[in-house]
Amino acid sequence: MVKSELMPKKLRFTAARIAISFALVSPAVAKDVVMAVDSTFTTMDPYDANDTLSQAVAKSFYEGLFGFDKDMNVINVLSEGYDVSADGLVYTVKLRMGVKFHDGTDFKADAVKASLDRATNPENKLRRYALFSNIDQTGVVDDYTVRFTLKKPFSAFINVLAHPAAVMISPVAIAKYGKDLRDHPVGTGPFKFIEWRQTDYLKVEKFGGYWKPGYPKVDGIVWKPVVDNNTRTAILQTGEAHFAFRMPPEQIALLKTKPGLEVITGPSLSQRYLSMNVRQKPFDNPKVRAAVNYAINKEALAKVAFAGYAVPSDGVIPAKMEFFQKMGPWPYDVAKAKQLLAEAGYPNGFETELWSAYNHSTAQKAIQFLQQQLNQVGIKVKLTALEAGQRVEKVESAPNPDTAPVRMYYTGWSSSTGEADWAIRPLLAGDSAPPKLFNTAYYRNENVDRAIAGALNTRDPAEKARYYKEVQEQVWKDAPWAFLVTENLLYVRNRKLSGVSVMPDGNFHFEEMELKE
Amino acid sequence: MLRYLIKRLLGLAPTLIIVAVLVFLCVHLLPGDPARLAAGPDAPPETVELVRKDLGLDRSIPEQFLRFISGAVRGDFGKSIRTRRLVSAEIAERFWPTFWLTFWSMAWSVTVGLAIGTVAAVWRNRWPDRIGMVFAISGISFPAFALGMVLMEIFAVQLGWLPALGAESWKHYILPSLTLGAAVAAIMARFTRSSFVEILQEDYVRTARAKGLSEPVVVIKHALRNALIPVVTMMGLQFGFLLGGSIVVEKVFNWPGMGRLLVDAVEMRDYPVIQASVLLFSLEFIVINLIVDLLYGFINPTIRYK
Repeated sequence: MVKSELMPKKLRFTAARIAISFALVSPAVAKDVVMAVDSTFTTMDPYDANDTLSQAVAKSFYEGLFGFDKDMNVINVLSEGYDVSADGLVYTVKLRMGVKFHDGTDFKADAVKASLDRATNPENKLRRYALFSNIDQTGVVDDYTVRFTLKKPFSAFINVLAHPAAVMISPVAIAKYGKDLRDHPVGTGPFKFIEWRQTDYLKVEKFGGYWKPGYPKVDGIVWKPVVDNNTRTAILQTGEAHFAFRMPPEQIALLKTKPGLEVITGPSLSQRYLSMNVRQKPFDNPKVRAAVNYAINKEALAKVAFAGYAVPSDGVIPAKMEFFQKMGPWPYDVAKAKQLLAEAGYPNGFETELWSAYNHSTAQKAIQFLQQQLNQVGIKVKLTALEAGQRVEKVESAPNPDTAPVRMYYTGWSSSTGEADWAIRPLLAGDSAPPKLFNTAYYRNENVDRAIAGALNTRDPAEKARYYKEVQEQVWKDAPWAFLVTENLLYVRNRKLSGVSVMPDGNFHFEEMELKE
Repeated sequence: MLRYLIKRLLGLAPTLIIVAVLVFLCVHLLPGDPARLAAGPDAPPETVELVRKDLGLDRSIPEQFLRFISGAVRGDFGKSIRTRRLVSAEIAERFWPTFWLTFWSMAWSVTVGLAIGTVAAVWRNRWPDRIGMVFAISGISFPAFALGMVLMEIFAVQLGWLPALGAESWKHYILPSLTLGAAVAAIMARFTRSSFVEILQEDYVRTARAKGLSEPVVVIKHALRNALIPVVTMMGLQFGFLLGGSIVVEKVFNWPGMGRLLVDAVEMRDYPVIQASVLLFSLEFIVINLIVDLLYGFINPTIRYK
């Protein structure tokens, strides 16, 4: 509707259109930082968002009790520390004083209670419900102290509160907007929400009453979803955007030649692997699975499919994850692969299917490379790159583990809590097989299951580390996956912009954001 | 004429109902569970069930169909599965950018196409014809996404004259409408030329020349009007087609329009948005066809409506 008043203006400009080649675009008044991102946001209610991007953007106006710093360590944000009871069931959190919401409400214990009661109430049907369902009760002790009582001990509970979904919302706004909160976010963050035009942009402006003196250092941010890779590259060069994430590896060589731009790469929590359905022949044989691991040159895969912006996996979980255990990388040895296949009774290899969870160009390149590598040892695979709907239908909703059609499956994972449990349990625990979670290898090992449960229930870091070590060693030995690569993050920043970075989990860090003239 | 119009408008309803039924069935035949997709990749089964209930997808297919139809009749298309906003709001926000982009693309491409086609027909097989047709063939053959990227590279990145993306001011319309209109201009030029060449051999053109009318009068007054009939038909079809939103151009120029909405919706199995958009496209086509039929009467008064 907004566009309709453009009409008369446009008529006047018909003549100008002819003379357009002489017109100049006035340089944008560079007060707002323009951040271009690769897909559209789904909601501005972090409790109802299932994509990292929406949550990253919501951090402009929302904050949680805890958060992560640049290296994924948990830090206090709206809290000043916490205590845990001896049985691991009761967490008492001290709140920061002197914090105000954008609507003027004081941030106190009642806001924490209102935000989390909303999240734990199944009636609200929020998409992040499961993350908080372990909270039995949120109690107000005094204005600046809250007490969380859990249903069962959960050692990673502070990570849950540090999750980008667990933000503090103004209790007044919760009461006022109800279901429409998604379009009217009111938090304590450095910026106030201004406007969200779904496909165009989301605008936020500096919040004068922010609790951290001297922050934020810019007047506002415009978040722009720009889906096309070439277009993101173009607007970095025209100066229409100061920052772009994610960037495809193939554009990087060009952008590196531009003096005004800075290409940044770093480790991520995003890993790629090839799961093998261990319930089905021939993948029930550990020798076959080991052979597949030996047959793939991961260095070359990183070069071919990811233009070098990936590193071979040297463990079960990404190296940046807490409790990571270094195991590899698995050596590339074609002779050994052939020998193992022969020992397993497949001297001439076999035929099977390889599906990819994605159909974008990087995944296409990756699976074609895998096909070629496996062919060298006699494993002939038929490739299918699944589109999102097909993936859900054929893999994630397969009702019966015994007849699940998936064989080899190229997929990936990025733990949204930045925490080892969520990087292992949904993918490798015995009862995480689809349709429940994503154990697409249908892997089940008693030792692994026991250790995963043990790690969840203990609060002793040393004991926890021991459990996770056991899990990773066992999984590496059983090799239900071919461990492929961990992707690098890739983003580009205008040199005028500083203080913005992308964290390993794909969230943004922009507290120190500054724009030079 | 008025009776004809009323009759045509009454005919709208059954067509739309048939389209609605077909769309509903096709959409529900797509593989993939929308609740699973909407709940996100790391959602446990309880969350998926919550989402399913919330979206009304736990009801039987006939029940869902009745809800859809009874809502549609009242103009209520429900909420988007992906964004949980009203479908009507989603579409209203995207319709106008696509409409104006289509309008301006059509405006320049029809003008240019008609001019090139006419010139080519009048100077048939001579150099104006050859040059015009080289442009036309290039326009048809050059893919829109490549043209868009080339234009953006030249005018936005290298020269810095025009913005690369957004839909805020008239400047933002230039590159996308040039890209989108190029193929249409080419088609219009080809169409005008062939239709014109035929007309120029008609008896009445010879008669007009014989009675001593000057060549411009013959071409513009006698031939052009008759040549326009097939051209207008083609124009209507192209207009309807472009209103569906060009996915390629909208992606390249980050245009907040219908094409991207529909692609996102199909990807996420966003049933309500797919259904409402397809219904809207059908309605647009019907209305445009009606307008084209009425235009015939203005161009050639010998055409009568019954």
